[in-house]
Amino acid sequence: MNANMLSTLGAGFTDAALGSQAVFRSALQALSHPGRIVELSHDAQAPSQGHGASAALLLALLDPDCRLWLSPSLAGSDAAAWLRFHTGCVLVEEPAQAQFAWIGQGDACPPLDAFAQGSDAYPDQSATCVIDVMEVSAPAEGNLPRWTLRGPGIQDRTVLAVEGLAPAFAAQWSANHALFPRGVDVFLAAPRRIAGLPRATRIEQEA
Amino acid sequence: MFHGFDTEPAARPLRRAQWLAMLARAPVSLLEPALAQHAETPPQWLRAPETGLVMVQGRAGGTGERFNLGEVTVTRCALRLGGDAPQPGAAVGVAYVLGRSHRHAQLAAVADALLQDPAQQAALDARLLAPVRAHLSALRAQRHARAQASKVEFFTVAREAGGADMDEDDSE
Repeated sequence: MNANMLSTLGAGFTDAALGSQAVFRSALQALSHPGRIVELSHDAQAPSQGHGASAALLLALLDPDCRLWLSPSLAGSDAAAWLRFHTGCVLVEEPAQAQFAWIGQGDACPPLDAFAQGSDAYPDQSATCVIDVMEVSAPAEGNLPRWTLRGPGIQDRTVLAVEGLAPAFAAQWSANHALFPRGVDVFLAAPRRIAGLPRATRIEQEA
Repeated sequence: MFHGFDTEPAARPLRRAQWLAMLARAPVSLLEPALAQHAETPPQWLRAPETGLVMVQGRAGGTGERFNLGEVTVTRCALRLGGDAPQPGAAVGVAYVLGRSHRHAQLAAVADALLQDPAQQAALDARLLAPVRAHLSALRAQRHARAQASKVEFFTVAREAGGADMDEDDSE
């Protein structure tokens, strides 16, 4: 990082411990109630590229032992410099090497099986993907294409509408789900809120 | 070499690496009075002062294989001046200092941020860096004098013979 990049760098959490704990709590909520919309409140000065919610989420999750893959619009942007400075994480070129991945909005998401899947003995070694989307919502009614989610952590069923995600995602997700206990976990991140999709969750597409 | 950072930059402009090296070794008692007014308001921390270990490596004789000498305690921080709402793009001051003094790291980073502003550089150079330079060169002179006191002259045959030749040359 050069001096120019440093001078435009935003600050992280005002209180590193409390800020990252609050975000971590939200991430736990999101993954333990798949499809639930979780507001992510934080006081970090997020970079201009990428959504603020995903930046704060990664800021809370990453540390110097983590390998992170960034999609093309984020790699080389201020988001990469920001995460490198504040977390010390290692940026990798290949999706398969990464423990965490951040896919910017509008970037083509690599197929989910391009990321580390873990093994049957160590399913925890799979990747966690943060995918920026335009909006996540839980519509009761409406003409938005909706998903019905079922699986552990969901009482009966949850309805989730996601805007700005590649149509191929649902098919990739069912392949990902079929690999259980292997497979990646996904956070879908709107600018201010997130929804979790752990690998155990099934997606049923509605018209 | 490292001590090159202490000497007065004669014609060359002051470089950032020079003042960072000087600030890291300046005593807090010199930094405090020169920076008091700037260090009053809490800065915006990009990285609050944190203490950790750094492995120091050495080479025998400066040329041999690299080896790990040992770990030293280092405190670092990065900050932006201007309180809670600094101007975007304002200079960021960074500091890495030996030891555990958070105050030292903060003052050095404040000085680094100020020195990057060309308008303030000359004044700060005179007020802050000149005393630091004098202090460091006094320290060096002191250490040099102490080492000099224990210097032993070894006279060898070769040297005496050489000296004798020189004398003969002179007399001719």
